[in-house]
This record gives sequence, C-alpha cells and structure tokens, in this order.
Amino acid sequence: MILVRQMLVPVALAALIAAGCTKPPSEKIEAAEKAVKDAQQSGAGTYTAEEYAKLEGTLEALKKEVSEQDGKLALFRDYGKVEQLAATTAAEGARVKGEVDKKKEEAKAGALQAQQVAQEAVAATLKLVAKAPVGKDRAAVEAIKSDADALQAALSQIQTAIDKEDYLAAQTQARAINDKSRTVSDEIQSALAKTGKGKSSPSRKN
Amino acid sequence: MAATRINRTWLAGSICAVLMAGCVPAVPPELIVALDAIDHDLIALGAPQAAPEEYAYFARQWVSLRARVHADDDLIRWPWESNDIEEELRRLQREGGTTVVRLNERRSRQRSTAESTVTRLEQRFLAMASQVQSFDGRVALGEKPVQTDLLIKQARLFFEQKDYARSIQAAEQASHALRIQTTALTQELGRYADDRQIRQWQAMVKQTVDWSRTHQSTAIVVSKADRELTLYKNGRRVLSYPVRLGFNGIREKLFQGDGATPEGRYRVIDARGAGQTQFYRALVLDYPNTEDRRRFRMAKQSGKIALTKNIGGQIEIHGVESELMAQTLGCIMLDNRHMAELFARVSSGTPVTIVGALTGSNSIALALSQLADQKDKT
Repeated sequence: MILVRQMLVPVALAALIAAGCTKPPSEKIEAAEKAVKDAQQSGAGTYTAEEYAKLEGTLEALKKEVSEQDGKLALFRDYGKVEQLAATTAAEGARVKGEVDKKKEEAKAGALQAQQVAQEAVAATLKLVAKAPVGKDRAAVEAIKSDADALQAALSQIQTAIDKEDYLAAQTQARAINDKSRTVSDEIQSALAKTGKGKSSPSRKN
Repeated sequence: MAATRINRTWLAGSICAVLMAGCVPAVPPELIVALDAIDHDLIALGAPQAAPEEYAYFARQWVSLRARVHADDDLIRWPWESNDIEEELRRLQREGGTTVVRLNERRSRQRSTAESTVTRLEQRFLAMASQVQSFDGRVALGEKPVQTDLLIKQARLFFEQKDYARSIQAAEQASHALRIQTTALTQELGRYADDRQIRQWQAMVKQTVDWSRTHQSTAIVVSKADRELTLYKNGRRVLSYPVRLGFNGIREKLFQGDGATPEGRYRVIDARGAGQTQFYRALVLDYPNTEDRRRFRMAKQSGKIALTKNIGGQIEIHGVESELMAQTLGCIMLDNRHMAELFARVSSGTPVTIVGALTGSNSIALALSQLADQKDKT
C-alpha cells in the first residue's frame, strides 16, 4: 500500500506539472493572424468581401477558443481545437489571398483592355478633328475640338484609377470615354459627309 | 405479479425514451439551414460590399458559432440542459433576418434614388445643352460639358452594374459639375441679364438713332442676342436682317482669334464692292477704336488676357463667301441678297452700334434664368 502511494504521488505530480506546462500554440496563432492580415492587405475586403468576412469570423472563433482555454485551470486546458482552428485560418487566409490576387489580375487585365480601347477611340477622334471642316459652323467645330481635348485629358483619370488599383472605376471611366468619343467622331463624320472635304479658314485678323 | 411486470416494462420504456430524447442533436439542423439561407440572402444583396460592417458582424458570429457547432456535434445533451449555442444561433437568426430586411429596404431606396438622380441629371444635361446651343454659348463652356457628360455616363454605368452607391456618388459629382457650368455661364454672360448693362446698351442705341435723325442719315444697330441688324434712316427703322456672328460671337471681344464679335460704337470706314472682298460685299468697321484699345490695355494689365495676345482687327459687315460658312471669326455676316440691299444704302462714315441686347428679356437672359431655376431645383 505504501509502495503504491509512493509511486502514485510522483506520477500525479508529473501529470500536474505537464498539464501546467500546456501553453497555447503561439506560433500557429501568429501565423493565422498574419495570414488574415496578408489577405486584408492584398485587398480581400474589396475583391472577396464575403470570404474575407468569414475569414475574420474564423479568426475570431480561434481567439475565443484561446481565451476560453486560458480561462480554465491549467489541468483542464486543451489547445487541440485552437491548433485545428489556427491551421484552418492560416490555410483559408492563404487561399483567400490567392483568390484576391487572381481576381485583381483579372480586373486589372479588364481595366487595361478597356483603357486601350478608350485610347484608340480618342486617338481616332483626334484624327477626325484634324479633318473637321473649318469653314462650316465654326462654333460647332470649336466645341468639337474642346470635346476632343477634354476626352484626351480624361484618359489620365483611367490611369489614376488603375494606379490606385480601383479597376472597376477605371473600366467604367474607360467605357464612358469610349462611348463619348464615338459620339464626337459621329458628329464629325456627319459634318464631313455634309460638306465633303474640309475647307481651310482664310487667314484673316478679327 | 402481472402489475409488477407492467410497472417494470413501463419504467424501462420511460428510461429508454428519456435516453433517446437525450440523443437529439445539440443544434436543430433546420436552424443551421436557416442561417445558411440568411448568409446567402446577404451575399445576394451585395451586403459584403454595400454594408461591409453589418455583413462582417454577421459573418464573424456565424463562422464562429458554426465552428462551435462542428466541434460539439458529438456531445449528447439532456433535454433539461440549457443549450447556449442554440440560443446564440437563434439570436443570430433573428439579427440576421432583421439585417436582410433592412438591407433589402436600403438597397431598394438606393436603387430608386440612383435611378431618379441619374435620369434627372441626364434630362437636365440635355436641356442645358439645348439651351446653351440656342444662344451659341457652347464654346464659352470649353471642356466642361464633356467632363460632366462623362460623369453622367459613369453614373449610368454604375447603375446598370447595380453598384448604386457609386452611381449616386458619380451623379453627385456630375450635379456639382453642372452647377459649375451654370455658374461659369452666368459669370460669362451675366451682362445680358444685368440691368445696368442693358440700360447702357439702350443708351448707345438711342444715341445712334438720334444721330441718324439729327443728321438725316443712315445708321446701323446690331443686337448680338437677337442676331439682328437694323438699318435706320432719318431716325426711323427701315429694315432688319438676321445676321450670323463670330463662332464665339456672344462673348465680349477680348483679343484676336477669340471668335467674339466686339460691342461698341463704330463707323464704316470702307465699303468694298465686287472684286474688292472675298465675302461678296463688305463694310469695314473702325475696330479697334480708342475705347477698344483702352479696354484691351486694361485687360492685359489686370491679367485677364495674356500679354502675348493681339487686339485683332478687320471687323466687317459682309456677305457670304460660300454656304460652308455658318459663322465668322468675329465679323457680322448677312445673306448676300440682304448684303446687297444694305450695301446699296450705306456708305463710309455710317455709324454702326453693336450691343449685346436691346432689352432685359433677351433670349440669353431668359436662358440663364431657366438654367438658374434648374440649378436651384437639383
């Protein structure tokens, strides 16, 4: 009996010490937090808002579990679920970031394509403006020149939006410029069709 | 004996029933399905983009609770035990449902606001373009109309993409741009609605007509707002013709090449007949006169115009060189038939008074007033 007691006491003490040493998996938790931050910094809130919100939810669940375990007596702490949640969060964070990068690339490609189309449309309009019939309806021609200048100036706004990674705005601006550019070109074409070849303005004062 | 057996059987059955009741899932599956449906509804409503904070709150709770449900799904709960997760899920279901309803209403309101704002702006822009066109004021606005038009187009595109918040934002910018246009026009052409200026123009016209009466001679009055040339003889109106002005004719002439037709009191200094002008017949005016030179000097000194600009000259009343010409560079142009009639009655020395308008209710003043009304309404 004494022997049994002598054996049990050290075992119980060892178990207690081992339990007391149970600590949260800090590195794994930090890795999970970093994965969420990386996803957020890559633009997950904009490009995959829904998945990012859920990622934040997983991180919150992880933190809640850590604090629940921390609140227990050392003997009863179990960070197994924390480890599992941390691994899930880190993996999800990396996946969401990858998804964001992919979506961003797609949006950027779309914006760049729209920008090119708009640039070509404005260039074509400017070419037509050079042919505009000067003699006929000078006010209209001057207005058309102003329009073409404004369109050319507006092209820089697309680049600004692209630089800010606001690809949706860039695409919308490009479409608007393209649309307006075609309208201006049509106006010039119609004036050219009415008057035939453009006529040079006489060199006079006024 | 039989009663004892029945009692034992009943007791065993009751224990089994109680145990089986304890085996019910920790959370009713239909609750999970309902919350999943709410999540889908929120996503369909664009909540992650349109209401990121509200969606993030829901999603955080939902993911967190789902993780707990997942972790606790092997637990057996006794019927009399309280179930925290289920209570929290039910609370989230209520809150989520309320959020769906609220977002639905908000989205519906946003859609309606965006649609009416964009439509109203498009109509206002078209109306403004038409009014500005009616008095050839388009050139005075420079690049502004295109900038505004691009914003309106963006507002429409965002609306079509169901991005109502951005649509409203672009529409507000466009509305601001329209207000700036109206202000610019009012500043540029406000003198057409300025009583003091109108009285001054009326006085100039009166002096010219009086001169014609006193000197028993002819005199010409041109109203830019009415685009009309009137010939007076012995102080009496003899005839009136429609005229075309410079391509920027309604503005105040500042420098050579601005396309504006000058305002002031001039005289015909040369009458050019067939073969002497490229414009059928021409009456050359003494622009720039002393007053024009003084104004030009002051405008340069005040920085209103660049120091490199010239004052210009060769302002004429002339005929049409070819039908291609709808506007001049600043001259006053008549149809050749009218020019022939006028040319026959006018000689060198005839006074020519060019004014902005003859009355306060001129077409430009009325258009400006309408634009101001529209500006106030939006």
